[in-house]
Amino acid sequence: MIHLDGITKTFDRSVLFGVDLDVPSGSLYGLVGPGGAGKSVVLKIVAGLVPADGGSVVVGGSDLSTLDPLALARYRLGIGMVFQNNALFDFMTVAENIAFPLRRSSSLDDAEIGRRVEERLERVGLAGFGPRKPAGLSGGQKKRVGVARATVTRAPIVLYDEPAAGLDPVTSQRIFDLLREEQLAAKSTVIMVSSDVDRLLTVTDKVGMMHDGRVVFEGSTEQATRSDDPMVRQFLSGKTDGPL
Amino acid sequence: MNALFSALGRFMIGVAAIVGAMGLLFGRIVSRIVRLDLDGEGTLSNLYKMGVKSLPVVVITALFTGGIMVVQAAPTVERFGAYSLLGWGAGFGTLREVGPLLTALMISGRVGANNTAELGTMVVTEQFDAMRALAIDPISFLIAPRFVGIVVTLFLSTIFADVLALVGAAYAGLPLLGVDPGVFYDGVTGGLLGIGDVIHGLVKSVLFGIVMALSSCQFGMSTEGGAPGVGRAVNSTVVVTATGIFVLDYLVSFAI
Amino acid sequence: MTGAGNPRPSIDEALGLAPGPSAAAMGQLKALTDSVKELAALFRQTLYYTFRGPSKSAVLDELYEIGNRSAVFLCVTMGFMGMIFVYQAGVQIRRVIPDLSALGSTFLELLVRDLAASISALMLATRVGAGIAAEIGSMVVTEQVDALRMCAADPVDYLVVPRFIASVVMTTVLTFIAGSVAFATGAWTAQTFFGINPRTFVDTSLVDGGDLVVGLAKCLAYGAAIPIISAHAGLTTRGGSAGVGSAATRAVVNSSLAVIMLDFVISTLGYIFF
Repeated sequence: MIHLDGITKTFDRSVLFGVDLDVPSGSLYGLVGPGGAGKSVVLKIVAGLVPADGGSVVVGGSDLSTLDPLALARYRLGIGMVFQNNALFDFMTVAENIAFPLRRSSSLDDAEIGRRVEERLERVGLAGFGPRKPAGLSGGQKKRVGVARATVTRAPIVLYDEPAAGLDPVTSQRIFDLLREEQLAAKSTVIMVSSDVDRLLTVTDKVGMMHDGRVVFEGSTEQATRSDDPMVRQFLSGKTDGPL
Repeated sequence: MNALFSALGRFMIGVAAIVGAMGLLFGRIVSRIVRLDLDGEGTLSNLYKMGVKSLPVVVITALFTGGIMVVQAAPTVERFGAYSLLGWGAGFGTLREVGPLLTALMISGRVGANNTAELGTMVVTEQFDAMRALAIDPISFLIAPRFVGIVVTLFLSTIFADVLALVGAAYAGLPLLGVDPGVFYDGVTGGLLGIGDVIHGLVKSVLFGIVMALSSCQFGMSTEGGAPGVGRAVNSTVVVTATGIFVLDYLVSFAI
Repeated sequence: MTGAGNPRPSIDEALGLAPGPSAAAMGQLKALTDSVKELAALFRQTLYYTFRGPSKSAVLDELYEIGNRSAVFLCVTMGFMGMIFVYQAGVQIRRVIPDLSALGSTFLELLVRDLAASISALMLATRVGAGIAAEIGSMVVTEQVDALRMCAADPVDYLVVPRFIASVVMTTVLTFIAGSVAFATGAWTAQTFFGINPRTFVDTSLVDGGDLVVGLAKCLAYGAAIPIISAHAGLTTRGGSAGVGSAATRAVVNSSLAVIMLDFVISTLGYIFF
């Protein structure tokens, strides 16, 4: 479904040096790796927010580099994204935040939009939070609103950038479980970036590990935990001596 | 009606709080300057940074302002045939008012806002706390040098701007009104303007500098609330500086 | 797309000379022309979305934000300006001719032609410019702008247009109000310090249609320039809270410079044609 081939990207310095990634349709793909490896950049490239300098990005059969800005905007409507810092619109209420993508993308009437927003809020355990403003919410609550907003359009692809960053262990696991349930129920294709590797691996189908702008390992969750690759072993066990 | 009065009251209290805080800060800074207790290297580097970086802004503003003054005065000059007085008119306008005022407003943006942004970011990233934990006095290390830098920069820039504005006016006078720069020069030095006018403008520039330095440091140091907080602090600085400049301008104009 | 690659060679390098100060100057010049191109593009986009139909509630919010929040500040500063101007002009003119009866009419003409619009705009450039850049900059830094793009909302349509419309409208309205305040305080000053009768002072004989056109043109030009420049500064923010501060600073400086330059251009055109 999502296929990256030889992606390179440079900002002030080179960040990606040839990334190959393959995300099968309907799977939950975990993208892990040490900080600065380029994982967020990869996510933004798949989201169409950042153009790749070289290589090809093929999503659902279309090559992103062939899309003009208008087509790209339409493409992004088919993707839900949860950002590292939530990126909730602080000038709107929670309900308006969640309704926003629906208003932009579809011609549903207000009543239907209201129903979907309520359904999402229930799903993420925030029933009744609609009229509140993001500023007054806790970290976990903000994350859940972000998840609701990303999934309300029932987009076939959802991207999560550190969905449990800064949350306590119990809340983190709850978020991961919630995201997995969502993915299975909606049969969506998901890429999840997280540094919380232990918890992430409890919900992934496939795992990719990045280091210094390249993908150094790709395989099923099983294969990852059993891998002999020294980098993978070191990262998964969290030991300080090794190639990383 | 009640709401209006309470809003007014809150506003006045707010103003008093700001002025009071700035006054206290001024006292603390002066006490350190008098004891020569400030970071010499920091002062020099601030002077350089603020002065040099403001140069392009001051140059462009001064030249254009000189031109604008001539354009605006043109209809009146033509009406009264007062061509020889163009130098005098532009002269007193520049030296007493436009020079110090406009220079201060432009530098308030370039230097004042920037200063607040830097200090605000330092507060938000807890660098002030770290300094105090290392027993370094933030006022003498950080604030007093910036204060000196801003006041001196504004003073020197005003002198520079005065000259440039008059040059700009002189050369705008030629194509627009046919006034030869020589005639313009005579109008400036002719005796209607005196050293008192120059001092008038320079006193203002020093006072504007003090207001600018105090307000930008004050708002910078009391920033709270992350990135949006820094933005708000910058906003407050430019507003308070501008208001302060106009109020002081008025007071000085009527005093001397 | 080109890779991480070859920046265009400077003139010095092309000529085989060692890169020197002119390389830096060329770099600066290029950066400047790039910025101007970006600003022009932003302006075009903003106009396009404005005519496509903006969100009324967003515009109303911004009208309040810009108008109500700046009104007091503007009236206070312009009020002082009026007093200062009349006082200084009076003192000076008295050195040359004792008759100050033309003071009011000349002041009014200057106000309408230039001072009301330009000084108000300089004040607004600081208050409004910093505000817009800080708001938009914070949104960039907290990834809200990216989130907008993910929902197929163009940040220009959503963030810039309401502020643009509100600024053009409010700059004109506020200029009018603040100019009146300045004239009123000027009249008071004239009477208190020079004994000029208000009826002599309030003399509209020198103000003609041309002056009104020039003043209005300035209001519109300033009102358009400030939000575009400030929004551009906000949208190109990089780097956390330091970036937001830097964006606000750039907005204030560049908006103020733009006001000064536009003032000169429009004044000169006004002089030539009227």
